Amino acid sequence: MLLLLPITAAAQELAVWFQPVLQGQKLVLNEPLRTAAGDTITVHTLRFYLSNIVFSNNGARVFSEINSHHLLDLEDEDTPGIRVDLPAGTEGFTEIQFDLGIDSLTNTAGAMGGDLDPTNGMYWAWQSGYINVKIEGVSPRCPARNHEFQFHLGGYLPPFQSVQTVRLPVPKTQNLLVDFDLTAFFEQVDWAKKSGIMSPGAEAVRLSEVLSKAFRVHVE
Amino acid sequence: MWNRRFFIPIALATAFVLLAAAPKRYPPGDPVVLRYPAHWRKPDYDFSKNPLTRQGIELGRRLFYDPVLSRDSTISCASCHLSFTAFTHVDHALSHGIEDRIGRRNSPALMNLAWSRYFMWDGAVNHLDVQALAPIAHPAEMDEKLENVVRKLQTSTHYPTLFAEAFGDSRVTGERLLKALSQFEITLISANSKYDRMVAGQDTFSAQEQNGYRIFQKNCASCHAEPFFTNHTFEKNGLPLDTTLNDFGRMGITQDPVDSLRFNVPTLRNIEFSYPYMHDGRFRKLRDVLNHYGTTTALNRRIELTANEKTDLHTFLLTLTDREFLFNQDFSFPKK
Repeated sequence: MLLLLPITAAAQELAVWFQPVLQGQKLVLNEPLRTAAGDTITVHTLRFYLSNIVFSNNGARVFSEINSHHLLDLEDEDTPGIRVDLPAGTEGFTEIQFDLGIDSLTNTAGAMGGDLDPTNGMYWAWQSGYINVKIEGVSPRCPARNHEFQFHLGGYLPPFQSVQTVRLPVPKTQNLLVDFDLTAFFEQVDWAKKSGIMSPGAEAVRLSEVLSKAFRVHVE
Repeated sequence: MWNRRFFIPIALATAFVLLAAAPKRYPPGDPVVLRYPAHWRKPDYDFSKNPLTRQGIELGRRLFYDPVLSRDSTISCASCHLSFTAFTHVDHALSHGIEDRIGRRNSPALMNLAWSRYFMWDGAVNHLDVQALAPIAHPAEMDEKLENVVRKLQTSTHYPTLFAEAFGDSRVTGERLLKALSQFEITLISANSKYDRMVAGQDTFSAQEQNGYRIFQKNCASCHAEPFFTNHTFEKNGLPLDTTLNDFGRMGITQDPVDSLRFNVPTLRNIEFSYPYMHDGRFRKLRDVLNHYGTTTALNRRIELTANEKTDLHTFLLTLTDREFLFNQDFSFPKK
């Protein structure tokens, strides 16, 4: 066995899992959930980018991930997550910071691969730029065709930069489960006015701000 | 359970097989240095992220001429960007794509693209690499998804080899496809017109061309700046809105009313061949263009020229024709 073990400084692999929830219930793709307003919402697609992950200890930066871009897709896993290799000595941290979405520098850097490859359905074709968050599904109250809603939140050009920085205080330094609570998002959608967003603009920014406040470390 | 006695030999054998089965490493490609006149500024394109190679350029050229990019394999980039007409869709005011669908803009001529930071008439695209996404996905152009193109190329008989030669292994990805197209498009350099040779001291202008050049520098060069004959910005040139198209140009991207009817300033290089003119191809003749600038009240000042001055200016504009560029065999349909 020894032959196969690499000899390196003990890096600590840490996983952060993201559990989408709605109205206090676990959100599963294609399963209808009832809202407090008596509405039913079925989400078919939930995909979002997390980038520029930073771990801090009482305000001091202890770890910044390099090339930090992760596409999380509920289609792949019920509870999608990211894994980061913390170098030895960064055990102590009190806060995780990340961007919900893709920063403007990356948005103007040309074609990229992996999670940033434009084949992932998270890049606009008609106008350059990443879609930071994609939420699609159906709700009887949605007035669009077949009651389908489509929210493609993105945009990097001022004044409509939609990328949001999220800072999460963390109570422990082991693997984390973070709730991504879409309740406020769906409460903020005015179905009469909007059944979808497919381009950058003020409304995309407003709803991105709502989503930036949707992350909370899960408490049992 | 592993038998300890056999484990190490098996592990070693496995390691050996893994090495032997590692994908064949192709040479990373033969580097190509982009050639352009010494007095031009450095390109805006960042070659560190996509170094030019002979194999990458050749792959991009094949992709450029291959209708596999479109949903029903009928439309290639070259359908609207023909090499002999400065890579534009000559004679079509609005370009047509798949199933004869008509778009809402005139296809731009392609040249000297490594010096552009914005693409499309409204600058909707911010980098050459991601430009091809727009025509591939547009329902009136190729009406296809990049994911499908990648799948078609990956299962084709010849593309995996070409991707391996260009990028080291046979994996087709969106990133590689787009970067190969960029590589080919970057090589489309037009820098050997009579004007260029005059600047280099290798040719001389006639009196008429010289006078046209003087008129150009006085009246046109603030937007159509040398040596690219564009200032690479968005300008309002006084064309009234065509209400059948309602194309407000740059404002569609920035949502700022200040940008209403601003369009990307096109290069004037090879303008002899890139008719019809303007974002919607509304002018068939260069003379129509000069007449527009003489009458519009939307510019800071009208460019009022006498008939003789217009003729001289026209003569100068013809010196921007670059036959070496138009008939370059390296840019035309790949031979094999």
